[in-house]
Parts: sequence; C-alpha cells; structure tokens
Amino acid sequence: MLEVVKPGLETSIQDYPGRIGYWAQGFPPSGPMDSWSFRLANLLVGNDAGDAGLECQFVGPSLRFPRDTVIACCGADMKPTVEGAPIPMWESVAVKAGATLALSFAAAGARTYIAVAGGITTPPWLGSRSTFHKAGVGGMEGHALKAGQVVPTGAGKGKPGRRVRPEARPAIATDKRWIIEVVAGPNDDWIDEAGHKRFLETDWKLSAKSDRTGFRLEGPDWSFTAKATDKAPENGSEPSNIIDQGYPFGAINLAGQTPIILVNDGPSMGGFINPYTVPSAAFWKLAQAKPAERLRFKAVSLDEAQALRHRINTLCNDASII
Amino acid sequence: MIYPQPKFLPGGDRFVLIEFGNEMNLELNFMAQGLASAIRESGTRGIVETAPCFASLLVHYDPDILSFGDLQREMSALIRALGPSDDIVLDSRLFYLPTLYRDPWTRECVEDYCAKIVKKEPDPEFVARINGLADVDQLVRVHSGTEYWVASLGFWPGLPFMMALDPRSVITAPKYNPPRTWTPQGTIGMGGASTAIYPVATPGGYQIFARTPVPIWDTAKRFPVFEDSIVLFRAGDRVKFVPVTLEEYRATEAQVAAGTYVYNVVEYQKFAVRNYKAWLDTFDHGKRF
Repeated sequence: MLEVVKPGLETSIQDYPGRIGYWAQGFPPSGPMDSWSFRLANLLVGNDAGDAGLECQFVGPSLRFPRDTVIACCGADMKPTVEGAPIPMWESVAVKAGATLALSFAAAGARTYIAVAGGITTPPWLGSRSTFHKAGVGGMEGHALKAGQVVPTGAGKGKPGRRVRPEARPAIATDKRWIIEVVAGPNDDWIDEAGHKRFLETDWKLSAKSDRTGFRLEGPDWSFTAKATDKAPENGSEPSNIIDQGYPFGAINLAGQTPIILVNDGPSMGGFINPYTVPSAAFWKLAQAKPAERLRFKAVSLDEAQALRHRINTLCNDASII
Repeated sequence: MIYPQPKFLPGGDRFVLIEFGNEMNLELNFMAQGLASAIRESGTRGIVETAPCFASLLVHYDPDILSFGDLQREMSALIRALGPSDDIVLDSRLFYLPTLYRDPWTRECVEDYCAKIVKKEPDPEFVARINGLADVDQLVRVHSGTEYWVASLGFWPGLPFMMALDPRSVITAPKYNPPRTWTPQGTIGMGGASTAIYPVATPGGYQIFARTPVPIWDTAKRFPVFEDSIVLFRAGDRVKFVPVTLEEYRATEAQVAAGTYVYNVVEYQKFAVRNYKAWLDTFDHGKRF
C-alpha cells in the first residue's frame, strides 16, 4: 500500500488500455494518456505492462510507503526524490519501509507515471481501475488522489536497478514544439483545400482550457466545402455541425471554429465534424505537451499510423529493459 | 439521402465510421443497428466494439488482428447479407417511465438560464408554438403519444438519444445557444428531432419540459434491472413516457429512495422493421393527437 502525503495536481489511478468495450454506452476508455511511458514504468518494476499505476500531471505527489517496495518513474522528469535524495527516472528503485517518494514539477513534458511493484489494486469498475472523475468512477473513490488516502497495492516481485534503454524511451521535446501525426478523416471532405493547408501549416497553441477530456487548440479559422454549408437542416446551422455521430478516440473535433482533440476521457458522440484523427501512436506527445506550447500537425497515411503504433507496442516489451 | 453503398471513413489507426446516409431518419438507424447486431453474431476477429448513432456505425478494431482492407471486406459482406432494411429484426425492450410534464424543476432551470445567461421564451410554450400546436396541453399529448426508439447512447454515459416511432408525434426544436450550464437529473428534453433523458445533472442544450423520478443509470446497482449493466438502456430499446401528477411523481420518488421501486419493462418483444413500415401505411401521418 501507499499513503498519499501530498496529492499533487490531479494525480489519478490509471491502467492500460483502460475501460474498453463501453463506448456504445458512452463510457470513455480513460487510462494513461502517455501509455508508452506508463507501460515501461510497469515493466521496470516487474508488473504486467497494463497494471494500474499513477498518472501525475504538471505537479507530482508525495507518497509514503509503509513497507519495503520497488517503484519506477517514467515520462516527464519531475525530479523525484526518496527521503530527499534524488532518484533516477526510467529506472526501478528500492524504497525502504516508511520512506517518502516526492515528485516536484515537470520542467519539460507534462505527465509522469509512477509504477509500484505489484500494481495498485483498488477495485476494478467495468473491468478497469482507471479513474473517470467526471462520472466519479474507477480509481480511488472515483476521483483524483486526496491527501491522507491509503491506496492498496499488490504483492510485487520487482528488482531495483533495472533501466529502460535510452533508445526505447519517448523523446520528450524540450523546445516546447511538437509534431503530431494525424490521419485525415472521418469528415475531411467538409474542409476545403485552403482549410486543410492552413491546418497543416499552422503552429497551433495548446489552450490552458485543456484536460483529459479534450485538448483545445488556438489558431486560425477554418474554411469549408459545400458539404458543410449546403446541407439538410437536421445537421444544424453552423458549418461544423453534422447529424450526431460516433467520435473516434483522438478525433480533432471542430466545435464552431475551435478544434478540440478528444482524448482519453472524451465524449463518445456528438454533432460536430472530425476532419482529422490523432492516431494512438501520437497520444504520448499530447500527454507531454503543456498549455501554451505549439503543436504542428503532420498528415500520415493509415498504414504509417499503424506502423508507428506497432513500433511503440514492440518497444513496450521486456527487451527494452536492461 | 441513403447512400447506395455505405461509406467507410477512417478515424485514425483503430476506428472506422460506416456512414449509411446523411439525413436523420429511422431507416438509417435500423441499418446501423442491424449491422451492429450482425457483427456481434458473426464474432468477427479483431472487432473490439461498435457504437451506433443516427445514420452511422462507429467500429473500433484492433489493427494488429484485422487490417483496414480486411475490415472493409468483412463489413461489406455483412452489409450485403443484411439485405433490405425491411428484413431487419432487432431485440427491443419497452420501458414505461412515469413522467411529470411541466414540472417545477425544469421550469426553475429555464428561469435561472433566463436570469443569468440570456432571456428566452419558456421551453414548453416555445416548442408548442414552433411546431404549430394549439398549446402546451397538446404538446404533452403529442410528446407522450408515441413510443420512442433508442437510436444511440452517448454525450454522457447512459444518455439515450431517441426518436419518435409514431410520425404523428414527430416534433422538432433548435438547441439552446449558448448551452445551459446545468440541467436537473432525470430531465426530459428535445433538440433537432431527438428526445433525450439526462442521467445526471449536466450542462445541456435541449429544450426541456418534463422530468422522470426513475434513475436511468445506477453505479450502486440498487435495482435488479442494473444487474448486467449500470446503464438502463441500450440501442434498440423503446421508451414510453407515462404522464403522471406531482403526487404520483412524489410517490415514485419515495419508492426510488427506499429502493422498493419496480421498473416497468416489457422484455418479450422484437422490433421488425417490415411490420413497423406496414403499420405506417395505415394512417394519416399529418393528424396530430
């Protein structure tokens, strides 16, 4: 088990791949936004890649461990310490009974994942321990961690001193600029040529009004084809309105003129078009981008997106640990 | 229109949106639900889940098991095998929901919106007027005079998007602009040609004029109807709103609080598109109740 001394900023319990299979009822997958770093953290401490761990956002927590255990921190460097002494990222570390792990804030990147040997063992809800705080389900009482909570963990068999090969880690940008892959569709034919060009040639600013539901982008206006402007009234009056449809995970959802990338806790359907979709292989970059940083989108084919996914899945394997 | 061939629109590396047409009608939803049901029965490897909406079916697949090309081929074969939509027969439960029309809570919510956000005509009067109904009494008759078809669930977990099955009860309404910041739990409202029930208190954009005391989702599973799912409805169910008085509403609310409420559900029926269409041919669609 672990005790929450300081909760950090919206630190939540997540597992991978999350709450899958309930999209038709409106339940999002939740789960870690940077599942690459998350899975590596689990592998370091001897867990299954998908076991429940912690997602820390911007400012990390302080956690006290009443029993000897092994932990690992992957993702954004939040300068972790144990009893005040710095510990490395991307490496499993032994923590003595009674010691406190403290994370600071992320200088580069935004999200850090803490894995504990044995994994977190809060009761699963609809097959997953992932927190979906908007509906108050999963995780610890349905919400982010609070000071004073005691979080149960399983029996672990982790070893300290295991490291992730440097080439198997996601390269977190330090220049506040990100290139995010996108696949055109499902509603790309609602945007005219100038609109597509503008989308792909703009450095979009990530809005401060972004969270695990959606990442809002600030940038130029969109322009549309006749499909958006000359349509049946049941589509709605705005060019970006469409008859309610299902939303893919990662859809770039155009609400009026504001694009919102629908991420792990996003809505399952609605009445706006999705001209592009961020493929699963680029989610880790969204996870590590901070508000006010710049996102540039790069169109890739479906085959390229699936190849990227395959590459990351291959890296989330024991062969990446030394 | 209904497309001669459904469109396969990719949504990133693991989703495809299969679009059957670009209008809101029951026919397209029957096709989306018919395909969802055919996929379930086929047990196609690599399909993770499906989510029907008004005119389309979203398919979540595992590209490590099923390529986009193979998916398209398998889905096309299933669609061909479905045949004309007349042949579609779907499992369909019928839920009776006690409903207080013109309730005090949605009225208070609209008044709060008028005071804090923007002034508007009260929702029941507005919906009655723009649909050419005599008054709010007729709105209640018309709105409660049909079974509703659950076309899909979404926006919020468990929230049903429903369409009137009886054309004499079809009414339309624009959505709020800007949206409301809150809506009472159990509120019934409509936007476009769709009626919805708010499972919990959330923001919203539908015109609201009624409320049900019966929970449509229950994370605590206090009632047997939530044994298999914490969400009351699934696509293909039907809902009948039963107008009640404030006293009856209060009595049901007390039963819900005590855990003694018994859900009124009919579970032996199937919905046959052919029979439904045959029925549509037997009366004048323009005559309101």
